[in-house]
Amino acid sequence: MLKGAEIVLRCIRAEGVDLVFGYPGGAIMPLYDALDGSGVRHILTRHEQGAVFAAEGYARVTGKVGVAMATSGPGATNLVTGIADAKMDSVPLVCITGQVRTAMIGTDAFQETDVFGVTLSLTKWSRLVRTIDEIPDAIAEGFYWARSGRPGPVVIDIPTDILKAKKEFSGPAKFKPHSRPADAKADGAFRDTIVGLLQRATRPVALVGAGAKLSGAIQELRRLLDDLNVPTFATVHGLGAVPPQSPYYLGMVGMHGTRAANTALHETDLLMVFGARLDDRVTGDPTRFAPNAKIVHFEIDPAQLDRVRACELPVIGNLADTIPAFHAEVRKASMPDWSNWRAVACGAERAELDPRGLAQPTMRFLDELFSRLPQDNVIIADVGQHQMWAAQRYRSSSPRGFITSGGLGAMGFALPAAVGVQLAKPDTCVLCVSGDGGFQMNIQELATVHRLGLPIKMVIVDNKYLGMVRQWQQLFYERNYAETDLSDNPDFVEIAKAYKIHGWRLNEAAMVEFPVSAETGDLIDNFLSSPGPELLVFDCAPEANVYPMVPAGAALSEMVFEDAE
Amino acid sequence: MQVFHIRYRNAQGTLMRILNAVSRRALELTSVHAEGSGQDYAVTMLLEVNPKQIGQLYREWYAIVDVIEVRSRAVLHEQEVPAWGPHPPASESIAEQPTRAALA
Repeated sequence: MLKGAEIVLRCIRAEGVDLVFGYPGGAIMPLYDALDGSGVRHILTRHEQGAVFAAEGYARVTGKVGVAMATSGPGATNLVTGIADAKMDSVPLVCITGQVRTAMIGTDAFQETDVFGVTLSLTKWSRLVRTIDEIPDAIAEGFYWARSGRPGPVVIDIPTDILKAKKEFSGPAKFKPHSRPADAKADGAFRDTIVGLLQRATRPVALVGAGAKLSGAIQELRRLLDDLNVPTFATVHGLGAVPPQSPYYLGMVGMHGTRAANTALHETDLLMVFGARLDDRVTGDPTRFAPNAKIVHFEIDPAQLDRVRACELPVIGNLADTIPAFHAEVRKASMPDWSNWRAVACGAERAELDPRGLAQPTMRFLDELFSRLPQDNVIIADVGQHQMWAAQRYRSSSPRGFITSGGLGAMGFALPAAVGVQLAKPDTCVLCVSGDGGFQMNIQELATVHRLGLPIKMVIVDNKYLGMVRQWQQLFYERNYAETDLSDNPDFVEIAKAYKIHGWRLNEAAMVEFPVSAETGDLIDNFLSSPGPELLVFDCAPEANVYPMVPAGAALSEMVFEDAE
Repeated sequence: MQVFHIRYRNAQGTLMRILNAVSRRALELTSVHAEGSGQDYAVTMLLEVNPKQIGQLYREWYAIVDVIEVRSRAVLHEQEVPAWGPHPPASESIAEQPTRAALA
């Protein structure tokens, strides 16, 4: 006879889980009681949001399902932002929450919330377990949906009496999904049509999103793009999918994308989208997005098609299937000479990549920092100006090497996510880049970093403002800096010291020289090569802005490159 | 006015997920009726929607893992008895794509 809690742990072990992140509390105590000897390592964070972001970091860097645990009521509701984040960014995540006793459900019992209802619109699948017999099926089905198709978040809510109940355990369950008419795959005639469109195109481009990484089709995509040799750019989640050294690669596209990428996207007559949602940060004004283009959209999730702009040719399916099939057709066909178009589209990009052209000190700092990272590294960016600067300067060809909260834009993501990444990749240099606002949203996870001795390298880009909001206030609200002033920030180096983490400080004045002085270079090298966790505060100008910028509601061709006088 | 007929597995929350796709868009839900339908369940809804929303709803419902099939048709009056046909949104059927390409 096993307790329900023991059955839960046996079932998640059977799903390949050996690491979970969480925070205990009343209703989930039976599960914590059963952890010892279960083969599942539990990472205690200092807040449930820290746990769910850490589980996301683990999932994003490995492609495996991340697991977070929390108790009922506030424990469960503290997971909600992470669940929403996983939904937006297609992260495989299973949240196991304790619930009040079955008999108390619906009575507004102590620490009771309807977490099933609260998360219904944010989850891909969820289950309130009603009997101990349901546990194996719920775990098997939950993990199946979390990792299948377009990955996403799952919630399994288990009342405490069910975790304590006992029964004979006959082993983990297997879930077999039902089939349905919509699961059809692309056929050959369809691929012929795309090839025909390509042959007629004079200015084709390719846009790469997160789907390229999630599908595991990176090599297939790179081979296809090498053969097509058309101007190519990436969303923030597509960074690293295409080697930046590729002569046809134009960098990031969208609101803070490169001039070359946004210009090519505006001028193209055939846009091939590989695993991107085409959200508003990528399209700008959807009515003026790629105005002359036909769109071929390779996408696994039909719900993402035609959301903001109709596409002419949707290709529904896993990129691991559709790209090789499409590539086979491309190889058989002869393609036009697009060299003139490529030369025009790519001409400006090389200058944008040159660090000597970087006037912005924070960008220059990040460029310097990234260039000194060891080969095996992962960068986790929080949300705000530093995120966009980091994305603009990211030059690695590691598909899972740049991690950030893209769709939801959840400040406070980076530090706990870095915990999950470092645990998944103990020998990798993990660099966490935050702003002063976002860092303070989950600053308590410094305790987790210290307790586990994780050698995370943490950078705070400190402009003493909620920088991105302030930038918008400057540009669109007549400099009315309402409630974005953080000039009363604490001394982050002292805070780190309180958590027994060594701190460093660097002022942006050090970045004026190019190349940087030996002293500055040594400081960055020492920061990166120290064996334990380290925190570096980069003090930068309060009113620095991220450019290029496509103002909200504008077309991609209406980029702004500098502050108006 | 558009009538939607959605067949689904009656797993926990599926009907609420179907309705949520409507409520998150603040659409006028004139009527809704759910019942068992053979081994599955079905919900019939009358909604005031534009053509773009029809496609969005169709695809969002299909993204719900327990939804089996979605059909719809336009009606002039609420009293009209629906005669169901496959809904033809832009991205529904791979098999129709060459036709769409020819029209593009």
